[in-house]
Amino acid sequence: MSRRLAASSAALGLVLGLTLVGAGRAEPSRRPKYGGTLRVEIGAIVNSLDPAAAAANQVEAAAKEKIGALLYERRNADGTFAGTAGSGPFRIAEWEPGKHLALAANTGFVGGRPFVDSVEIQMGRAARDRVLDLELDKADLVEIPPEEARGAAERGIRVSTSQPDELVAVAFVAGRPAADDARVREALARSLDRPAMVNFILQRGGDPAGGLLPQWSSGTAFLFSTAADVPGAEELVSQIGHPPQIVLGYDSGDSLEQSLAERIVVNARDAGIRLTGQGSSEGPSGPASCDARLVRLRMPSPHPRAALVNVMGAIGPLIGLQLAPPAEGASAQQIYEVERGVVDSYRVIPLVWLPQVSGVGARVRDWKAPAADEGWPLADVWLEQESP
Amino acid sequence: MTFRTKLFVVFTVALLLSVSVVAVGVIVVTRRAFDTLNRQHSEALVAQFEREFERRKQDVDNRVQGIADTEATVRMAIDLSRPKADVSVYVNDARGVSQSHQLDFLDFVASDGSIISSNEWPARFGYKMDWVTLTEDWAPLGAFLTKVDTQDGPAVGLMAVSTVRVGDKNLYIVGGERLGKDFLASLVLPAGMRALLYLDLDPNFQATNLLDQSGPVTQAERFAPFIEQQRSVPQPQTFKILWSTDAASAEAFHALPLVGREKELLGVLLVGSSQQEVVALERRIALLALGVVGMGLLFGLLLSWWGAARVTRPVRRLSEGAREVTEGNWSARVDVRGRDELSRLSSAFNQMVEQLSEQRERLVQAERVAAWRELARRLAHELKNPLFPLQTTVENLRRAKEQRPDQFEEVFHESTGILLSEIENLKKIVGRFSDFARMPQPELAPVNLNDVVRDIVKLFEAQFGAVGRPPITPELHLEEGLPTIQADAALLRRAIENLVLNAMDAMPAGGVLMLRTTHESGDVSLEVSDTGAGLTPEECQRLFTPYYTTKQHGTGLGLAIVQSVVSDHGGRISVESESGVGTSFHIYLPARPAQQTVGVSTPISAPEDVSPAPVRPVESAERTGRGDTVATATETEDVHSAPETHGEGA
Repeated sequence: MSRRLAASSAALGLVLGLTLVGAGRAEPSRRPKYGGTLRVEIGAIVNSLDPAAAAANQVEAAAKEKIGALLYERRNADGTFAGTAGSGPFRIAEWEPGKHLALAANTGFVGGRPFVDSVEIQMGRAARDRVLDLELDKADLVEIPPEEARGAAERGIRVSTSQPDELVAVAFVAGRPAADDARVREALARSLDRPAMVNFILQRGGDPAGGLLPQWSSGTAFLFSTAADVPGAEELVSQIGHPPQIVLGYDSGDSLEQSLAERIVVNARDAGIRLTGQGSSEGPSGPASCDARLVRLRMPSPHPRAALVNVMGAIGPLIGLQLAPPAEGASAQQIYEVERGVVDSYRVIPLVWLPQVSGVGARVRDWKAPAADEGWPLADVWLEQESP
Repeated sequence: MTFRTKLFVVFTVALLLSVSVVAVGVIVVTRRAFDTLNRQHSEALVAQFEREFERRKQDVDNRVQGIADTEATVRMAIDLSRPKADVSVYVNDARGVSQSHQLDFLDFVASDGSIISSNEWPARFGYKMDWVTLTEDWAPLGAFLTKVDTQDGPAVGLMAVSTVRVGDKNLYIVGGERLGKDFLASLVLPAGMRALLYLDLDPNFQATNLLDQSGPVTQAERFAPFIEQQRSVPQPQTFKILWSTDAASAEAFHALPLVGREKELLGVLLVGSSQQEVVALERRIALLALGVVGMGLLFGLLLSWWGAARVTRPVRRLSEGAREVTEGNWSARVDVRGRDELSRLSSAFNQMVEQLSEQRERLVQAERVAAWRELARRLAHELKNPLFPLQTTVENLRRAKEQRPDQFEEVFHESTGILLSEIENLKKIVGRFSDFARMPQPELAPVNLNDVVRDIVKLFEAQFGAVGRPPITPELHLEEGLPTIQADAALLRRAIENLVLNAMDAMPAGGVLMLRTTHESGDVSLEVSDTGAGLTPEECQRLFTPYYTTKQHGTGLGLAIVQSVVSDHGGRISVESESGVGTSFHIYLPARPAQQTVGVSTPISAPEDVSPAPVRPVESAERTGRGDTVATATETEDVHSAPETHGEGA
C-alpha cells in the first residue's frame, strides 16, 4: 500500500511539475540543432488556411489560429494576421485540406530560421490515437484533451499544460422563451456543480469558472462563486411554477462538451429543470431548436480587458448582450464591473477554464507551453535526433 | 304431406340429430384437447423461461462477483478506503469494465452510497445510490429485478450487487443486464410462439414499452387491458387476442409478472402461441366431421326413404283400396301380408268392404223394389184416369143398344170418339214412360259448357221476347277459360233446356233468367236462376221425384231427366229457392272424366219400352245462406239406354 501511495504521489508531482514547466518556464537549454521534421498531430480538421474563411467550429478556429501563427509574420492591432502566408517562420510545402499540412522552414523569416526543417501536421486524429502515436514515437507533438492529461502523465508522457485560457460556458440564445426568463437562467447557474466537473470530467485538468476571466488574468475570478446552490435553484424554479424545459446544444464531435452537457442535465434535474442535451455538428450557431449552447472561448490575449472584449464580442450577438465592453484604458475595477454585469445577467454561465495541453515527444527540446495570445512556438523547438 | 313423407322426415331428423350430436361432440372434445395441449405447451415454455431466468440471474451474479474479485477493483477499494481518496480517478472505469464483462449496467458505489463511476449514466458521478448501502450483505440475495435510471430514461435490469470491503469501508459493485429485446432474442422459442416483454416504467400503459425481439410491438394497445390487470393484481394469467375476424388469427398468451425485490411490478413477460395451426387442424377435423355427417346423412336419407316406403307400403295399399271403394270399385281389396297391426287392419278393411258391398246390394235391391212399387203406383194412377171414361163409354154403348136402339147410332158415334180420345191419352202416357225408361247412356267427349249455354240461349231468344208474353231477360255470366268437361253434349243440352223451360214457366210475368258458369274445386258448375214466384221447402224436397209437378200440365219427368243426366255425368244438382224471389238450380260436373260406376245393381228388367230409372230418394236437405231449403240430388246408380228425347217441362 505504501508503494502504491508513493507511486501515486510521484505521478501527481510529475503532473504538477510539468504544469509549472508549461506555465512559461523553459527546459534547461542545450545547444540546439538544426534539421529534422517535427511531427505534429491535432484533433481539429482544418479545411481552409485562409484566415478570412469562417471555421466550422471553435476547435477548427483555434487550430487555424495556431497554424496561422506559423505562417504569418505578425498580427494587426485587431489580432488578424498581417502579411502573406509564408512570411512567418514557415511556409506551406504541402496542403491536403482537412488531412495533412506540411510546412517548410522559412529561411527568410525576420525572426530567424526555425531549427527544424519542416513540420508535418496530421489533422483529425482522435485523442487516443494521438497519445498512442506519441507513446510509440510516431509523433513529436500532440494535442491532448485536458481531461486526458492526467492519465497521459500517469503513463509517463511528457505533458505540457498552459495557463487555463479557454472558457467553456453555457450561452443562452437570445429570443428563446426559456432564455428570456432570468429565473430559469439563474436557477440553472445555481444548480451547476463546477468543482465536480473539474474533478471528474476534467480530471482536475482545469479550473472552475465563475467569471469570464481567469484568476491569473484578472485577479478577481475568486469573487465569482463556483459552488452549486441547489436549494436556491429549487426556490427559483418553484417561483416559476412549472418545470422549465431547456434544450442545450453542444458539438457532437467534442467529447468534452458532451460530457459537460450530460453533467449539466443531471445537475439541472436536481433543481427541477428539464434540460435535454442535443448534440449537433452545425457549427457555432447550432441548431435553431436550442435554447442554450455550450461555447468555447479562447482568450486572444492575457490582458483582461482585451480578453473580456473578445468574449463579449464573440457571444454578444448570440445572447443579446446589452452591456458595452470596457473602454480602452479601463481600470481593473471597471473591467470587473463589466464582467460582473455580464455574469449576473446569467445569459452566459461560465463553467470551466481549460488549459492547452500538449504531449511532447522525447526528442523535442526547448518546448514551452504557449501563452494566451501565443501560438505553438515551433520556430524555437529543435529535435534531439533525426526522425527515423 | 303424405304419411310416407312424414315418416321419412322423422327418420331423417332423428338421424341428423344423432349424427350432429356426435359431430359436435367430436369437435368439442378435440378443441378441449387442443386447448389442453396448448396450455401445456405454454406452461412448458414459461417453465423454460423461468429456468432461463434463474440461470441468467446466476450468471449476472457471477459476473458481478467476478468484477469484484478483480485486482483492479480490489485496488480501487483499497484506494478509496484511504482518507481523502481521490475518487475522480475512477470516474471512467465502469465503462471499460462493463464492456469487458458484457454487462449493460455497472456502477461503482462508494461506502457512503455516492456513485464513483457509472456505465449507464456516466454523468451521475457523485450522486447517491443509497439503496445499495441499506443491505449489509448482498451475497445471499443473488440477482434481482429492479428499475434502473439511465441517461436515456428508466429501464429494467437484472442486477446483482457485490461488495468489496476494506477496513470499515465498502466498495459496491452494482451490475446487471438490461431486460429488453436483446433479452427476448436470447430465448429459444419453438415455431409459432413468441415472447413479448412489457416494461412497467410509466404510470400508465405505454404502447412503446411493449417489446418483442425486434423492438416495439405493433398493435400494442390490444394488450392494454391485460397489462392493466397485471398492474392491479400481478399474477400469472392467460388470455387470447383475436387479431382479425378470422379465428385462425387468434393468439393465446400466458402472462408472467416480473416483480422486484419489494414485489413491485417491473414488467410482464407475455408468451404467445399462435392458434393458426390449431384452428386449421380444428377446421380440418370439423370439415371431416361435416363430411362424415354429410355421408351419414345421405346414407340415412336413402335408408330412411327405403324404410319409410317399406313401412308405409301397407298403409298406401290400404289408402288406395279405400280410395277405390270411394270411387265405386266395391271389388277393391287390400293384400294382407304379415301378422302385424297393419295386416290386421288390412284384413279388417277387406271384411268391412265385403260387408258394405253386401249391404249395398241389399239396399239397392230394396230401393229397386221400392222404385218398382212407386212406378206401379204412378202407372196405376195415370192409367186409372183414362180407363174410367173408357169403361163408362162402353157401358153407355151397351145401354144405348139395349134401351135406346133408335139413339144407338148417335151414341155409337159419340162413344167411339170418346174411346179414341182416351186411347190416345193412354198412348201418350205409355209413350212418356217409355221415353223416360229409355234414357240413353251418355257418350262422353270434351265439351265446352259455355258454348252449350250460349247455344241454348240463342235457341230460346225468340221465346224470351215472344209477342203476347212479358219479356224474359237472359243474363250470362260465363267464366272465361272454363275447362272442358267430359260430357254427352246432347244429353247436357236436353237437361239445360229443361231447366230453361222450367224457369220460363216459373216467370209468367217476365223476369230475369240468369245463367252462370264457374270453375272451382275441380268442378265446373252451372247455375240457372229465375226471378219467379219461388218454391216452398216441401216442393224443393220432391222436385226431382219422377212425375212430381207443380204445373197443371206436364208429366213431372223433366227434372228427373235432368237429375238422371247429371248423375250419369258423375255430377250433382241442387236447388235453392225463396218465395217471391226466385229459384236457382246448381249443377256441378267434374272437370275430370266422369267415372262409370261398376259393381252396382243391374238395370231393372221391364217391358221393352219402359225402363224406369230407380232413383235414390233425396237423401238430405241442406239449408243455404239464403235461408231456404236446398235439395241436393245425389248420383243415380243405373245406366240406361234409351232413344234421345227432348226436354220436358217438370
